[in-house]
Parts: sequence; structure tokens; C-alpha cells
Amino acid sequence: MGKEWGSEPLGSFYTTGKVRNRREWRGFKDTFYDYTRWLHIMGILSKFIVKPRNIKAFFRYRWMANYLAAPMMVDRHTQGLRGPQLRIAHTEFDLVMADVAKLLDNLFKADRRIGNDKKLSDKVVLMDENEMTAVMMGFPTLKGLSRETPAVYVSVLLNQYAACHYIDVAQEYGLPGDVCPMPEAEAGVSIDDDFPILGACAVQCNTTCDGSLMGNSVISKRLELEDGVPCFQLAAPLRHQEEDVQEYAAQEIRNCIKFIEEQTGEKWDWDAYFTCAGRVNESTRHRLEWLEMNKTDYPQVFGSNLALYTETNYMAICGKDPDFLAADRKITALAEKAYKEKHKVLPEYRHRAIIWGVQSHFYFDFLIWLQNCWGILPLTDMLSMVSTKVLSEDDKEQAIYDMAWLTENMIMRNRTHGGYRVLLDELWEFCEEFRADTVILWEHMSCKALTGMHGQFEEKAREKGIHLIWVTHDLFDPRVISRQAIRDQVNRYMRTVFREEPLDPSLEILTDEQSW
Amino acid sequence: MKDLKHLYELERLLEDANNDLVRKARSEGRKCVATVCENVPEPLLNLPGTFSVRLRAPRTGSMEMATYYMTSFLCEYTRALLERAMEGGYNFTDCLITPDGCTMLNRCIENMELLHTMEKPDFFYEYMEIPMKNDENGLNLYTLQCRNHVLTPLHERFGIDVSDGAIRQAVAEHNRVCQLIRAIGEYRKEDHPCITGYEFHILTMATYVAPKNMLIPVLEETLEELKTREPDTKKYRARVVLVGSEVDDVDVVKLIEDCGAYVCADRFCYGSFPGRDEIILTEDEDALTQICRQYMNRAQCARYMNQEKIQGRRAYVAKLAEDYHADGIIYEQMKFCDPWAYERTVGTQVLRDEYHYPVLSVDRPYAVGHSGQLRTRVQAFVESIEIKKIQGGGK
Repeated sequence: MGKEWGSEPLGSFYTTGKVRNRREWRGFKDTFYDYTRWLHIMGILSKFIVKPRNIKAFFRYRWMANYLAAPMMVDRHTQGLRGPQLRIAHTEFDLVMADVAKLLDNLFKADRRIGNDKKLSDKVVLMDENEMTAVMMGFPTLKGLSRETPAVYVSVLLNQYAACHYIDVAQEYGLPGDVCPMPEAEAGVSIDDDFPILGACAVQCNTTCDGSLMGNSVISKRLELEDGVPCFQLAAPLRHQEEDVQEYAAQEIRNCIKFIEEQTGEKWDWDAYFTCAGRVNESTRHRLEWLEMNKTDYPQVFGSNLALYTETNYMAICGKDPDFLAADRKITALAEKAYKEKHKVLPEYRHRAIIWGVQSHFYFDFLIWLQNCWGILPLTDMLSMVSTKVLSEDDKEQAIYDMAWLTENMIMRNRTHGGYRVLLDELWEFCEEFRADTVILWEHMSCKALTGMHGQFEEKAREKGIHLIWVTHDLFDPRVISRQAIRDQVNRYMRTVFREEPLDPSLEILTDEQSW
Repeated sequence: MKDLKHLYELERLLEDANNDLVRKARSEGRKCVATVCENVPEPLLNLPGTFSVRLRAPRTGSMEMATYYMTSFLCEYTRALLERAMEGGYNFTDCLITPDGCTMLNRCIENMELLHTMEKPDFFYEYMEIPMKNDENGLNLYTLQCRNHVLTPLHERFGIDVSDGAIRQAVAEHNRVCQLIRAIGEYRKEDHPCITGYEFHILTMATYVAPKNMLIPVLEETLEELKTREPDTKKYRARVVLVGSEVDDVDVVKLIEDCGAYVCADRFCYGSFPGRDEIILTEDEDALTQICRQYMNRAQCARYMNQEKIQGRRAYVAKLAEDYHADGIIYEQMKFCDPWAYERTVGTQVLRDEYHYPVLSVDRPYAVGHSGQLRTRVQAFVESIEIKKIQGGGK
């Protein structure tokens, strides 16, 4: 046991059960720091659970049980990290955990079945999980809350089997098993009547795909027709790179704002909007700086630290929470210092990789495993390559177009839709920019937008001499492709094509089938 | 029943995408505009000097190459199209205008483009954005997209007249086809119909894949023929409405009718509802806007996402079932089709629970052939309807 990376094999902590046998020793300073953050998370959970309504919610909603695994999830995504990367990870997780706890607290407080706070409920606008929250930037007195985020999205980060029950419910209802399990699970929660009921109105969006669009029709059937919550369907154009769809997108934003005003009685606040736009711009500058560092030999904010945080900050926060900006600044400061000191996360960087595909962390800590096991640096991922457009901070007309642009360019759909260029051609440009020798094609088998380009990826990678490692998965359902089956796909390529031995052999095969 | 005079000829026509009528139109110097979805307004593709062909891949066999490019998780329609395109089966077309309707079709066409499957040097692709709600904003988008991605390229590339007058002329021809198909389809309401669902499907499908002006005499003659055609005395065991996604396989309706059911109404892509609704034009607004409005409002495509449209789709099916005296409804989807996977599932529940129709909910391959599984499902469904009738139950 030492403070250096690799002082103890990371795979040795795994058991055949739900949790690992002990915490990792990272040297006194880092272990102590890590322990304080663990205590901090336990504090967030304790503060949350002492409220009687939250205990009630714990027994009412099946998916709430997953939150017992929150500390374990953080441990999973910080494996092997030391120094600045450990601090960057915890800066992010502290904030994301607090944000999710706040979201849950608000949901249950306003939930007709739990807290039944009508006053709060009347100030709530329900948002889709996979939806940019840009239209809420000018409503500072309203709360844009997502029910799907805690019920499904975060749950699968916490517990690999979290969505399985709801996928089964949807399939018992008649949905086939070949659709994307994400909207399928969300539809399953709705069919199971396991969403909190609240809100003055809801805004549904056609992000991210056909499945997501259609899943909304299942949810709105209950939400609008049974629970009486009016829904606005925000249609974001699919061919978002084209000039001749932007006016349509902008008008959808105008109509959406009008709908929210009518349903809630609140008025759009331009000052609040421009404040948020300023924050989005600064966040973008920080993200760009991190990406620039990742193009060098000394990347600092990458892998899980980049992917998980960008999703939350870009899509769900969208400038509305100043705490995230403070976190951005802190992360940049940590990264800049580490960069100047030429800090390396691992003793050996073997491959520079771009991870291309949908979210790569739902039921598996794939990115951190890649670096720890094989020395593959996940420099960036598809979902972190989002819009870097500067938003106007004073032009009201342009602001409408900016919100439309953000909505069209929600994570994932900015690549999976909009024509093949944004998915296919830009990948090779990124490979050049980041000097990547490897692409991990994180192929979600039910994502038709991605698999529809399967052959093109393969042929172009061959043409350009880039190693393309196909890693097939089923996003939410480890029963279809297990964690080990995912690992095996990488292991096989590394051993047979690269003919390499793992950096940490204990991670090659793990007994985490039953683990959270 | 005595065979319809033109049936054999039309069956043969449907055996090849580049059929006799297409070849004849091309030999007259007309440009062939290919499309793959009902959301591209047909009259705009059938202007003087052009004719439209909705792509299909009859007699599909292996889809190995397309499966390599798009994996086995994409629907077989899209894979069959790509395979056929790679084989050079669509080289007779002059351009392909497609909406970004569903992801899989979009990827299919993009693969065609990337693989340079079309050999004509001036061949071009156009991708359209189609509204997802029927409102004023959607209408503005639709007209703009039709102008930018249909009319302008046809005019600039091929010198086609895209004036209001030319569009109205195309609508008149389109409407004549619709009137004839609708009039022929009316016979399906009778207790002893003088046309089978299969025959009607052949007639309707031909109108999507061959120049319309050449089919009008055939349809007129068929309508006249039906007026005196003696129906079979045997009664079908059950009358069903077939609802769902793309059906261009002639064997689908045939298989259902071989099981003793009668397909009395067809609400699917390539069917007559709503694809063969007339377009009513007035003089107080330009034709393009009116066409787009009617296409948008009548569309039964699953991708329309506003509640009015979603509820409307189920009410539309129920109304068809009522008008055509159906005993039950068959909701079908092509395997791996996301939009229709959801639409079929919820539609099935709603039509059963709220409209009280027996519903068979199935997914199917692109080319049904003699699918034993599907046959068994339909046979069981027909029997269940019969049992209900015997037991004196409701619908």
C-alpha cells in the first residue's frame, strides 16, 4: 500500500457481492481527503432522509432504493485517482449529488402523493430528462424539474440493474425489446405509475431520438390525460445544421415560453436570462480550456471527470446555478496547476482515445476502467463535444435563436442527428486535433442513429489508420450485455491486435455481476 | 370472382422498381424523382416533366451488405433499400428527395449517398425537415422545406416548371388517381365485396410506384369493371382494418386474407388512407401552402408528437373501422421500427380499452413471404373474433 497509482491492484477490492471489501489506500493526504468527501456525501444523504416526506417517498417509489448506492457510485468513478484528478472528481460529485438531492427534495415536496405542496407545485415546470433546459433560463421564479432524471437516469448510474424492472414493465405492456432501453424504461416508470405527480405544466421535447420522441407519448398519456398536467411538445428540428430550420426552431422557443407564461402566470425575465447566458458562456470557455489541455501530452480533465460533469452542467444546469460556475473555476484552477506541473494520472499513457457513442457510464464505470486497466486515455467523448457557440448576452432576438440552437444541440442529438457529417466526419477531425490513435466505438446496439453508420465508421477508420475498437452495449440493460462482456471486447482487442498486457491485470476480469 | 382485367399486369409491374411504366416515362424524357416516405407531398414530385417513384425492394433476398453497413438492428425496409441501391437497382432514378422522417430511413439514404450508389452524374440528394406538429409554425417550415428541397432543386437542376399553375396541374392529376382509388375502395364496405383487400392493395400500391397519368386509364377501366363484377358468395370470417407502418410487400394482405380475414381498410404507408385523400385547392392561396397544410393535417405518421395528433391517430383508426364495418384491427409494425413500436403498442391498448375493438398486435419482417408465425397469429385472431361472434359478444 503506497500513495502512488498501482501500489495495490484495484481489482482486489471487488467481491462477488454488492459492495467492495474496503476503500482504496491512496496515501494519507489523498485518502483523508477522499474520506472527507465520503462523509460529505453521507451528510447530504442524511440531511435528505431525515425529512419524513422523503422517507415516505422512499417507500412509495421503487427506484428510490437505488440511492442507497450513492457513495459506492462515487467510489467507482474515482478508482485509482490521486491528487488534482481526485479533487476535480469530488468537486464535481459534491455538486452533482447536492443538486440531485435538491431535485428529489423539491419533487417530493410538491408531489401530490407525498408532500402535496400546491404552492410549490404551481411553480414547477416538468422537463424531459434528455432536454436542454434553456427555456427555463428566463424564469428565475419557476423550478424546471425532471422526474426522469432521478427515477431512471441517475438510478442507472447508481445501480446497474435499476432500470430492468421498468424495462420489463414496458415490455409486458407490449413494447418490443429492440427499442432503446432509456425511453423504454421511462415509459415503464409511467406505465407503472411510479413518477411523482406535480407541476403547473410540462415541456416535452423530441430529443434525442425516435424512441425518445415516441416514449413521450406514453408519458404524456398519463401526465396530461390522467393527471391533468398540460404538456407542451417542443419540436426541435432534426437537421439542426441547416439554416432553413432555424426560424422554425426559434418559433418553437417563443411558443414554449408563451405556454409556460400562460400556465404559470409568470413573466419571462430577460435580465435573468442574460445572466444565465453569461454563465453558459463562461462554462463554455472553461470546457474549451480543458479540451485544449487534452490535446496536449498532459490532459487533466478527461474521462469520467469530463463526461459526467459536462452532461449535467451543459444540459440540466444551463447557467441557472451559479454554484456550477464556481466549480468550473475551481476545476480550471486545479487543472491549470496540474498542467504546469506536467502531472500525469498514470505512470504510462499507452493510447490516446476518443470515446464515440452515447453515454458511456450508465451501468459501468467504463472510462475510468479503460485508463486504469489498459492505460487508454479517454481524452474526450461524443457527449462532451457539444456546442461551443457563444450566446448573446444583450440581444433579445438573437437570444431566442441561441436557445433554439442549444435545444437542437442537446447532448447526443447534436451528433446523432443533423446529418452524417456531425457524427462521422467530425470524429476524424477530432482524432486529428486530439492526436488520438484509437477510437472506442461505444456502440449502443439499440441506437439506430449510431448503428446505421456502422460500416462507414469501420471503412473510414481503416482508411485513416485509426484503431477502432467496437464495444457493443445495451445502455441501460446489463442483462443483455454484462459489464464483463463489455470489458472482454476491449480486452480481446488489446491482447490480439495491440498485443499488450494490462497496466493493472487485476481489472481485466472482475466479479462485479451482482455489484451495484 | 372473375379476375380483374389489369390485375396480372399490375402484379407484374410491382415485381420491379424499374417497371415498364417507369421505363416508358423515362423514354419520354421525364425525370424520375425517387422518394421513400409519405411525408414528401407527391404532387410536387409529379410536375410536368417529372414523375415520382416511392422506392421499394421487391423480391428482396439477401441483405448481407446492407446489414454490414447498418447492422441487423435497423429495420429491414431500410436495409433492403440500401442493398438494392448497392446492386444498382435504383440507377434509373434522377434524384432522391427524402424527409428526415425516421432515423433509420435517414441513415439508409445517407449510406446510399456515401457509397455513391447512384450512377447518374447529375444525380442529387435532398434531405427535408418535416414538421412534428400540425400548427402554423409547422406549416411555415413545411412550405419552406418543399420550396428549398423540392421545387428549387427540380427547377435549377432539370429546368422543371414549378409555378403555381404547374403545381395545380399536378394536383389535378393526383386527385383523379385519388378519386378512382377511393371509389374502388368504397366497394370494400359491402357485405359481399366485389374486390378483395389484396386486389385493392395491388391497385393502390401501383399508384405510388408508377407514373400516375399512365395508371388513370387502368383505374378507370377497373372501376367500370367492378360495377358489374359478381362477388363471391362466401362470406369472410372477419373484416379487419390493417394499420401500421410501411407495407409494400404484396404478400402481407394476401397472407391475412388467406387466413379467412378480409382487409376492408388500409391505414398504412403505401395504403390509401390517408395517402389517397384528394387535395382540395382554392384560388385564394398559393397551391404549395394548401398542399402542405393538407398533408400536415391529414398525416397519420407516428412522428407527429402533439397530443391532438396522437389522439387523432387512434380516433382515425376507430372511424375507419366503423365506416368499413370492421370486426377487428390488425396493428402491424416492421421489426426494429422505433416510431411504430410505440405507436402500435399504445394504439393497441387504446383501441382495445377505449374503443373496444379486438386488436392483433404484430411485428413482421419486410418480406413476409409465407411466414408461418404471422399466419398462425392471424388465424388465431380470426378464430377469436369468430368465437366472440358466436358467443354474442360485442365487437
